[in-house]
Amino acid sequence: MLRFVLSRALKAVLTVWIAITSTFFLLRLLPGDPTTLMVEGDMTPEMQAALLKTYGLDRPLWEQYVSYLRELIQGNLGISFRQIQPVTDIILDRLPWTLLLAGSAFVLTIAVGIPIGVTAAVNRGKWLDRALQGFGISANALFVPSVAILLLVFFGAQLGWFPIGGAIDPDTRGLGAYLSLAHHLVLPVLSLVLVQLGPYALTLRTNMIEVLGEDYIRAAQARGLSARRRVWKHGLRNAILPALTLMGLQLGTLVGGAVLTETVFAYPGVGRLIYEAVGQQDYPVIQGAFIMLAVTVVFANALTDMLYAVLNPRIRL
Amino acid sequence: MSAPVLTEPAPPSAPSASKRSSWYGYLRQPTVALSVLVLLVMVLMAVFAPLIADEPSGAGPDVLQSPSGAHWFGTDDLGQDVFAQVVWGTRTSLVIGLAASLIALALGTTIGLAAAYFRPIDAVATVITDVMLALPTLPLMIMLAAVVSPSVVTLTLIIGFFAWPEVARLIRSQGLVISAMPYIDGARVLGATGWRIVTREILPAVVSLMIVSVLLTASRAVISEAGLSFLGLGDPDAWSWGRILLNAQRSGTIAIAWWQTLFPSLAILLLVLAATLAGMRFNDSRDPRRNGG
Repeated sequence: MLRFVLSRALKAVLTVWIAITSTFFLLRLLPGDPTTLMVEGDMTPEMQAALLKTYGLDRPLWEQYVSYLRELIQGNLGISFRQIQPVTDIILDRLPWTLLLAGSAFVLTIAVGIPIGVTAAVNRGKWLDRALQGFGISANALFVPSVAILLLVFFGAQLGWFPIGGAIDPDTRGLGAYLSLAHHLVLPVLSLVLVQLGPYALTLRTNMIEVLGEDYIRAAQARGLSARRRVWKHGLRNAILPALTLMGLQLGTLVGGAVLTETVFAYPGVGRLIYEAVGQQDYPVIQGAFIMLAVTVVFANALTDMLYAVLNPRIRL
Repeated sequence: MSAPVLTEPAPPSAPSASKRSSWYGYLRQPTVALSVLVLLVMVLMAVFAPLIADEPSGAGPDVLQSPSGAHWFGTDDLGQDVFAQVVWGTRTSLVIGLAASLIALALGTTIGLAAAYFRPIDAVATVITDVMLALPTLPLMIMLAAVVSPSVVTLTLIIGFFAWPEVARLIRSQGLVISAMPYIDGARVLGATGWRIVTREILPAVVSLMIVSVLLTASRAVISEAGLSFLGLGDPDAWSWGRILLNAQRSGTIAIAWWQTLFPSLAILLLVLAATLAGMRFNDSRDPRRNGG
């Protein structure tokens, strides 16, 4: 077990390192490099040189890379161009909101996707099954901001059931604060779940149909186990594993969706931060946000892999 | 967004006896016919945009009008016609979607085939593909688009460059199956070079998978372009569906002017759904298990 965990963690670290290294060099090879972005037009050459020196951008590329990596390991992502504040602090301020949003969407997708997928598999060809297939295919065509705006206009602005922006009502205390938190979370989470649910439930359905045809299910039937027990206990256990892997692979898409939905709902997470930073051309914040999101996604993916190993009886650790 | 709708490519089919009838059968399916029709209308809209509507620019007197005979899709807070914006946006979406998916296809097919046939390349290619598939693509594209000045060309390059891993994975898995087939061994025994085997023997066997990939990658590219434009990273000189949504977001008219967000959203939905359906049905139509051999 320990060996598996270590090797999986090592793979995650390697992935992040490759990503950071390749993007570092890619960004400096691109035509519009950060130096030209940062230097304002009306500066004297002396001022430009001084500014470049402050940020260490006058040194050779290789030296920049080494010092960048050294700083990164210590958790230093540089200084924001616009807010004179360390990028790490700015992002850590916002990251919990994104984790809450994406995490809730992840859990809810699984919680709702399992019953839908299983029921569709058991009632193959019936209306629920057909509806799920249509929904699963069209989910590919759903654009997160469109879904988010639709929810915002209908449930937020028209019906007034949910707040149309923000993450919490600052005047609430205690239990009220938690309720306000959940209330603000509903629409952003829903916009992510609607996009993720179709493919997830569809995968679960396909696995379930395959599993229900296996010999051990027939054996369970011969032993007199009820249909309910066969499907929900014996079948689901085996069908859920590939669906879990799919969710792990979809984490990147989930985070991308979170960036978009946060922008629509002015939700104070990393996604909204990226949107603001793009508007202000705050380049270190954008790069830092990508690194933090990449680290989060890669390690969350490693965690789902470990969970897979724990849940799968065929892998003995 | 980029849901893996194709988990398993259909097994390679034997050279079909009559190619024409299989195309005919494919196009006769109602969903396919409808999808192809939608795609055709979109292409015509993109090509003839200047004849359909004037390029929206400047401010007009009719501000925030709901849809009417004069303005089919209503007007935005500057008084610009939303219908004209959607029509002109079709150009950007189609051009970027198609060009980016062709880049992804060229890269993905080359890498996928090389990995399938040449063992040493496979190890490296698989690591790179895995790393790229593990990363959050949208934040990655945002980072690059923010540094270069966004234009139709740079957006196409960025989106195309990050869409190839999915194509490479599909082509590689198909290529591996074909590499193991007896006729490849036969070609090797006859003294064919690796280059010849890959280009003359394996490549033709993955062509139909490439057609599917173009459609699916193009639909993902359209969504990516819309996402980047919505975040303010679109080409400032070209109309785009994502930019219409961004304008509504920036001017705070989302809750009032439903027409400003509904119509570009429908355009994205229709285009992507049509491309996805056409691609998936094409994949199904090649599957001998469904066609009864």
